Amino acid sequence: MSKVPFVTRRRFMIATGSAVAGLGFRSAWAQGRLKIDPDNFQPMPIAISNFVAGSPADGDAGAGITGVITNNLKRSGLFAPIDQAAFIEHITNIDVSPQFASWKQINAQALVTGRATRQGDGRLKVEFRLWDVGSGQYLTGQQYVTSPDYWRRIAHIISDQIYERLTGEKGYFDTRIVFIDESGAAERRVKRLALMDQDGYNVRYLTKGSDLVLTPRFSPSTQEITYMEFGQGDPRVYLYNIETGQREIVGNFPGMSFAPRFAPDGQRIIMSLQQGGNANLFVMDLRSKSTTRLTDTPAIDTAPSYAPDGSRICFESDRGGKPQIYVMAATGGPAQRISFGDGTYSTPVWSPRGDYIAFTKQGGGQFAIGIMKPDGSGERILTSGWHNEGPTFAPNGRVVMFFRDPGGNSGPSLFTVDVSGRNEQRVPTPGYASDPAWSPLLS
Amino acid sequence: MTAKDLFQRLRERKGTALSVALHLLVLGWGLVSFSTRSVEAPQEDVIPVDISMDNTSKMTAGIKSGKKENPKPLVDKVAEAKPVDDAVGKIDKKDVVTSTSTPDPPPKPAEKPVEKKPDPPKPVPKEVPKKAEKKPDEKGDDPIADALKADKKKPTPKQETKAAPPQPPKPKQERVFDQSKIAALLDKRDPAHQAVTGDVINPNAALGTRTGNANAMVATWQGAFVSAVKRCFNFPYNGQDADQFEVDMDIQLRRDGTVASTPVIVAVRGPSKSVGNAMAESARRAVEQCQAYAFLPKDQYDTWKYIPMTFGLKDML
Repeated sequence: MSKVPFVTRRRFMIATGSAVAGLGFRSAWAQGRLKIDPDNFQPMPIAISNFVAGSPADGDAGAGITGVITNNLKRSGLFAPIDQAAFIEHITNIDVSPQFASWKQINAQALVTGRATRQGDGRLKVEFRLWDVGSGQYLTGQQYVTSPDYWRRIAHIISDQIYERLTGEKGYFDTRIVFIDESGAAERRVKRLALMDQDGYNVRYLTKGSDLVLTPRFSPSTQEITYMEFGQGDPRVYLYNIETGQREIVGNFPGMSFAPRFAPDGQRIIMSLQQGGNANLFVMDLRSKSTTRLTDTPAIDTAPSYAPDGSRICFESDRGGKPQIYVMAATGGPAQRISFGDGTYSTPVWSPRGDYIAFTKQGGGQFAIGIMKPDGSGERILTSGWHNEGPTFAPNGRVVMFFRDPGGNSGPSLFTVDVSGRNEQRVPTPGYASDPAWSPLLS
Repeated sequence: MTAKDLFQRLRERKGTALSVALHLLVLGWGLVSFSTRSVEAPQEDVIPVDISMDNTSKMTAGIKSGKKENPKPLVDKVAEAKPVDDAVGKIDKKDVVTSTSTPDPPPKPAEKPVEKKPDPPKPVPKEVPKKAEKKPDEKGDDPIADALKADKKKPTPKQETKAAPPQPPKPKQERVFDQSKIAALLDKRDPAHQAVTGDVINPNAALGTRTGNANAMVATWQGAFVSAVKRCFNFPYNGQDADQFEVDMDIQLRRDGTVASTPVIVAVRGPSKSVGNAMAESARRAVEQCQAYAFLPKDQYDTWKYIPMTFGLKDML
């Protein structure tokens, strides 16, 4: 692809203008190029052939990896994996070029082949290759060696590579979700801090459920989680180390502290501190433990979230009467209101791409999840209905996860939806689940 | 309470019983008539249509001539102040005429001038019959008294054609004013153009409106080619800035409709280089995947052996 020139719009216009003025088009119709815009979105058909087993004992790993990749790409909504029953060629040796005609015949545009082999040292070697069916071109490939226990992780990494090669954007499959697992009757709900892969597998419970926990958030390093917990006294912000299981209170403040979130550098935590009937935003440096006040208003300022470059903060405040979203410099100062639609806006979260802020919008008996640009323009509702709440972005900023609580005796579940509003999917969890937060890419 | 008692009570309250019975009847009828499901129309696949260049060229020829003639609307000018109304009002005028046609002879001339274009064509024998066909409507207005007769007899056209002759005299009267101009117009017109536009776009031409719409609706091999490639172009993208991405690609085709060489990516535009490049690959993949484009008219190979294209994502969201 290095041969493909990448030109800015202006450069292209100049170039095109001079070409037209000087030579004109070679075509008979000088009015310009034939324009193609897809009428609507169609997922790309892709064939994922079963990963060949290096030895008869590796059959399960190969099939498992194939299944995880297929599931990831399908759930993304951008790809349409072709049913293996339709395959004409069955790949048995990935070192030989596939018969592209037979893959073209089933309308596959891309083909994934792979092999899983248990090595002499007991470790698992996984190779994959991605092919362009139309041209027969080799697009990308890689091999990984790991403990056999981590075969799912390898499948997620391969999924990300395929996604990136075909879309031009980073994937989000090798990630985790921290969330609140809910179990028991509605009036005596037990809430535990839990961790899982983005596809709902490998669930781990981090707390026992004796204390109420809320709003967990990942650190950029994904090794730590900050959250709010109702202990014996006021709710406090805690820091939890996933690897060691250690936890500590963030700061020692007189009132309650809540709505914590890491700064992009991972060295600071921003949160709300209660002061009488008001709440203001503070940021605490985790190394020096020094605390800086960012707002000082007779209102409730909460749910702060950093822009990915750390220069600005969006947060929720009722300083204007009703909860709305404001943006201000990360060092404090005047804040600019950006939400002006009907109803109230809350739980803003800045996309890791920086291009959008997701929010919960309440009004007319509906709880909607939406996005808007950081200047408040381009508001777009992604999903609406009874009690949708708590959006969190995938690390590539293209997917939003949130929880939906239908009320009554049932409980909340996790869902994902594209920033385009398409492809709403339920995320499998062992029980009820709420307050999800998406980790950055693990690798 | 036994059934007998109930029956007796109902007898005592005939009004109630009647009311209940009627309500039940209405409800029953409602259940039957409102519960029917609307028929779901099965979705149809888009099928590219092979259209010969003959039709296309004729259509474009007609249009081109229409545009060229637009500056000429001297004919409309003959009608003077009304050309402004022409664009919108021709039909309205007709309606008005129908209501007052018989009593007012003057309005007719006003309308006819619009159609007089056909009149002048008299010199051109071909158009005379066309006028005869179209005039029937208005002529029907004239002989309102004869409406019944017209209905009775199928030969209506004949009557109309007969009616046509009587009208010409009126135009002739107007010709007295405009003869020279009309003649000039007629002279300027290319007979070929008249034939084409007269058949298909006669009303528009008479109104002096552009035939741009017709141009847009003309199905061409370009349209068929675009829809064919579109079926294979499914770039996986879900961003909100999709409309900012564009890929320019040059395609060379063989006479049999297959791709002669790997399509050349000329330029990629968009906020993300990596996404733009992936989209360029996807576009190239689409062109190669959907070949051969055997429906392209072989006798016009020179027009499509080289096709410069631009791929966008504008309408995808």
